Amino acid sequence: MSDLAAAAAALGLPEALVQRSAEARAAETGSSPDAVLAAWAGGEVAAATTAPTEPPSVESAAEPASIPEDAKPTPSAMTVEAAAVAQPVVVAPVGPYKPPVLIGARDNPARIVTGAIALFLLVMMVGLVGPAISFDSTGARSSEIEFSGAAEHGQELYTSLGCAACHTQMVRPVIADVGLGAVSLNDSNQILGTRRFGPDLSNVGSRLDAAQIEAVIAGDGTDHAPHNLNDTDMADLVSYMTESRTAEG
Amino acid sequence: MTDTKTADNQTLPDQGADASRVTATHFMVGAGFLILGGELLLLQLLSLYFDELFPISYGRLEAMANICLFIGFAAISLIGGAYYVLPRLTGARLWSADLAWVGLFGMSAMTFVGVIAVGFGLGEGRAPFGTPWWFHIPMVFLLVLPLLIALGTIRNRTEDHSYVTLWFLLGGLTWLPLLYLAYFSGDMPYFSSVASEYISVFFSAGFLTMFVITVGTGLFYYTVVKELDIPLASRQLAVVGFWSLGFAGVWWGTAQVLFGPGPDWVSGVGAALGLAFPIGALANAANVSLTLDGSWDRTRDRPDLRAGVLGLYLAVGVALLAALAGFRTVASVTSLTGFWEAIEYTTIAGVGALLIASSAFSSLPRLLGRQLIKSRARMSNRLTLIGSVGVLVFLAASGALSGYSWVGGSNSAAYIDAGEGWAAGLDGVGDTLLLIAVIFGVITFVGQLTYGAAVIGTAATGKAVEQEVLVSKPANEAEEDE
Repeated sequence: MSDLAAAAAALGLPEALVQRSAEARAAETGSSPDAVLAAWAGGEVAAATTAPTEPPSVESAAEPASIPEDAKPTPSAMTVEAAAVAQPVVVAPVGPYKPPVLIGARDNPARIVTGAIALFLLVMMVGLVGPAISFDSTGARSSEIEFSGAAEHGQELYTSLGCAACHTQMVRPVIADVGLGAVSLNDSNQILGTRRFGPDLSNVGSRLDAAQIEAVIAGDGTDHAPHNLNDTDMADLVSYMTESRTAEG
Repeated sequence: MTDTKTADNQTLPDQGADASRVTATHFMVGAGFLILGGELLLLQLLSLYFDELFPISYGRLEAMANICLFIGFAAISLIGGAYYVLPRLTGARLWSADLAWVGLFGMSAMTFVGVIAVGFGLGEGRAPFGTPWWFHIPMVFLLVLPLLIALGTIRNRTEDHSYVTLWFLLGGLTWLPLLYLAYFSGDMPYFSSVASEYISVFFSAGFLTMFVITVGTGLFYYTVVKELDIPLASRQLAVVGFWSLGFAGVWWGTAQVLFGPGPDWVSGVGAALGLAFPIGALANAANVSLTLDGSWDRTRDRPDLRAGVLGLYLAVGVALLAALAGFRTVASVTSLTGFWEAIEYTTIAGVGALLIASSAFSSLPRLLGRQLIKSRARMSNRLTLIGSVGVLVFLAASGALSGYSWVGGSNSAAYIDAGEGWAAGLDGVGDTLLLIAVIFGVITFVGQLTYGAAVIGTAATGKAVEQEVLVSKPANEAEEDE
């Protein structure tokens, strides 16, 4: 049996992993991989890893390695099970005591999860349920538009094409939106959108006729990106646009 | 309250090799999706300027990029980071590595399914993913898995003290499925258009803040003290940062629909509570700065630490801008514009990418036994920072200018007929700013490619170094201990 195979068997690890670990160990200690493997194969794991020249592992930074023996947490306190051995356990030279860096308070993680859920529910109650509650628009008018069947299919196309990524259907009571039509109310059934890279389309039906809208969608003579739709889809989308006009639009 | 050391030990029950593999694979898969999502994001930016160039519309490109970056990159990578840290903080091996594999394969598959569905027009168009309703059902279940694994690991813990990272991980992993469930509910017919829109903006903002920044920050709290062997400056500041991010998470989203048809009080509450976002970001950045006080020179050759610090500082900048835009006077110019596109872009492609890079650069060498390719890691940090800040500045400026043009156009009645603002009157200034932002977007994309090259290159060709394997105590030693 080769040293590699023997070391792998002794350590209970795949040979490739043992070979690579041995090469890395050899590079660090200035010895040859064969020597390292021979040491591991001979059951000298502890000797190989506790050599005084061994540089402290990065892992030892927060480890008991830098803590005097009497200050170390005992292995039994960590509920260690005696099972398979992996790769050589690095034990750094004992140095002066240094407080550990990963400091934590004794607490119950269940309380963190409970707090997180409670906070989420609170935020959702205010932020989602609040806006979802519709309120009457004092009888002045409604933003809900009666769409035809074709227009409703056109609205589905409007969403699936991602039109709302560039166009709003939301007129706000601000100076910037003066001239766009009646202000949208809470009962709006249009696709609001949150970006206005292109024009607002709340009342596009009152500004453009069907032919003009179709030309824009097809990208004919405009700087709008062309959409290649079949005749039915184009007609339905145009219907949705032409029917998009609020009461005062 | 007694402070003590958290385990972070190498002697754990049973073998942990499979947990290491699944953790490292999360980072590598995430890097792959970053490249794919970054490419889509770049096409999205390009299509803003060259709007007739692409056969797929801007809206679909945006949704496809979001699926890749939010789920494929950020969620998968951060979940990988959580799987790396959890055993080291709890003294217990990762509970059910098999379930972690299922989650990874499931989320990867769903990312592809979502991108293809949206690309072929099968989606329903609701921001940010635009996916069909059936996409959400498996996603909710898949996003619950990391929380289950975390709780299962913690249940077996041998360390009953919690380092602050555990707070951030538990919070982020708890909020992730809840946020997604709320987002899913927006597809339900009983929600009005207005409510559905609010749910979408809440989800986008919540995902970025309550998950990406929260978990990313928590992982960096682990990385910084672990790598430099210095204690955290303040546990209290970290806790303030944690709860502020959780509280702020969704509120800055409402500023995007300020003056919209929702109740007025939501805008007011959103503006006030949105201030918690910069408070949380500042608390975390200050905490890390205080922690590094006297040790800054030790971060010079450490791309993992540099990435985390840059990510936290960039988060402060983004948070301040987002909170500022929550005020009505500012929102009257910035809402509905590219200003918010800039905020979201930089949060995911800048802040999120840097925080994730920090965790990946720190953990991969230990998980794989391969030395990090530092030159690529450094280059990735540099390009990601320059690119994302450039996009933030110029896209936000372009957006603010658009908003200003709407106000000006309205005052002059210049745009009533066209209904599309006053951009023509600006003699292309807004377009020029947009073009500069696109150029910075190209730089970000090169940074993303470099990140992928650093992560995958480290796994494939990195020089062999000692691999960290969480192990059981040798049988003979355990017997001696007894």
